[in-house]
Amino acid sequence: MRNLANYIIRNSSWFLAILLIAFSISQVFKHNSYQRSVYLTSANKVSGEIYKLSTNVTSFLHLKRDNDKLLKRNAALEQTVQLLKEENLALSRDSSAIEIFTTDSIQPTQFEFIPADVVNISISKFNNYITVDKGTLDGINSNMGVISTEGVVGVVQSVSKHFSVIIPIINPNFRLGAKLKDSDNFGTVAWDGKNANEAQLKEMPKHKTFAVGDTVVTSFSRIFPEGIIMGYTKGMGKSNDDNFNTFNIELATNFHTLKHVLIINDKYHDERTALETNLNR
Amino acid sequence: MKLNYIYELLLFVVLILLQVTVFNQISVFGLATPFLYIYFLLKLPVGRNVFYVIIMGFLMGFIIDIFLNTPGVNAAATTLIAAFRQPILHLFYDKKEAGNFIPGIHANYGPFIRFSFLAVAIHQTALHGLEAFTLFNPHILLLRWLASITLTLVIIFALDSFTYKKLASDE
Repeated sequence: MRNLANYIIRNSSWFLAILLIAFSISQVFKHNSYQRSVYLTSANKVSGEIYKLSTNVTSFLHLKRDNDKLLKRNAALEQTVQLLKEENLALSRDSSAIEIFTTDSIQPTQFEFIPADVVNISISKFNNYITVDKGTLDGINSNMGVISTEGVVGVVQSVSKHFSVIIPIINPNFRLGAKLKDSDNFGTVAWDGKNANEAQLKEMPKHKTFAVGDTVVTSFSRIFPEGIIMGYTKGMGKSNDDNFNTFNIELATNFHTLKHVLIINDKYHDERTALETNLNR
Repeated sequence: MKLNYIYELLLFVVLILLQVTVFNQISVFGLATPFLYIYFLLKLPVGRNVFYVIIMGFLMGFIIDIFLNTPGVNAAATTLIAAFRQPILHLFYDKKEAGNFIPGIHANYGPFIRFSFLAVAIHQTALHGLEAFTLFNPHILLLRWLASITLTLVIIFALDSFTYKKLASDE
């Protein structure tokens, strides 16, 4: 017994190390995306503020490029406004005749877009994450979709009061239903960890042909509205299943220069989820 | 002696800040990211209490993990290095070396280069090995491993010779 005690005391530093390593490894495997504590992610107050500070410094360097992007976006929106104006004009012409059927104009829209700034982003790792400067106080919850002006960015994973962490497309844990714009067959977009500009559209039917440059958009999901651009087909990818095709797609969002994102608040999300889980029971 | 601890604590904080704000943004060819925070463990005095080294190593990895959203990965790799620091040191340095001797490139560059190489290699192996559990891609993994080791070592040696020059001019 004394020998055992001596042995333990003599090697206690090794025991401490083994204990700490075991604890760390248990953390690795506990990696449950949705139940992790916010305090152990970059959404916590201290790391969030540090990232925000460093972004404040570096954001000056991106002003010109961001400006260009905003101008482009502005132009696109302007175009939409024109289109809508025309449409409005056409609709309003004989509205007096059927006034009894006009819909309630204060009906709430299903989707609300919350703008947020990126305070930290990793693109060169396997497990990439994005931290943004909006949290529960701004109405953000986990599982909300995130887009940029260019296309889909990712899904909100954990949220604190002032910050949230997003799983981008370029994270191996990311999966999202998608389809080619001109067809109704849908597959899954996932990332193979090789290139931050490229992802894979998997599980597409074998007979489905495509042209290089075809648009890949979101199909129905609980998180994104249908038809948001994810990327453009680039070529045939490696498929590990003979019954399905895999396409390489060029991502619409440029993660290297991502600075601003929009978080989608789907007002019917809870209702829909509740209904669907009820059915499954 | 007390001044040593304050200096170390400062190095601890500065390295973490540098790692999360600067070095993590670096990605040469999309492959090599320097993991410089391990420099802290290299520069502790030879005779420093093993418990202190292990706990500081763990804390460092743990804090880095919080910033990088990689729970446990850096903590495990850094604790491993902290635990094996003494045996690795004794491979390259004389056991009779004074307890307050700090390994460095200026003292005797041969042993320091070998010591850093082995430490960084083990650290990177553990780091990439653990990360491979979430996504296994042997080809890229190997390239990343080699590239990150090289870049980390180059920056460590550059930093170390730089601080040496500064110290020498102070004297």
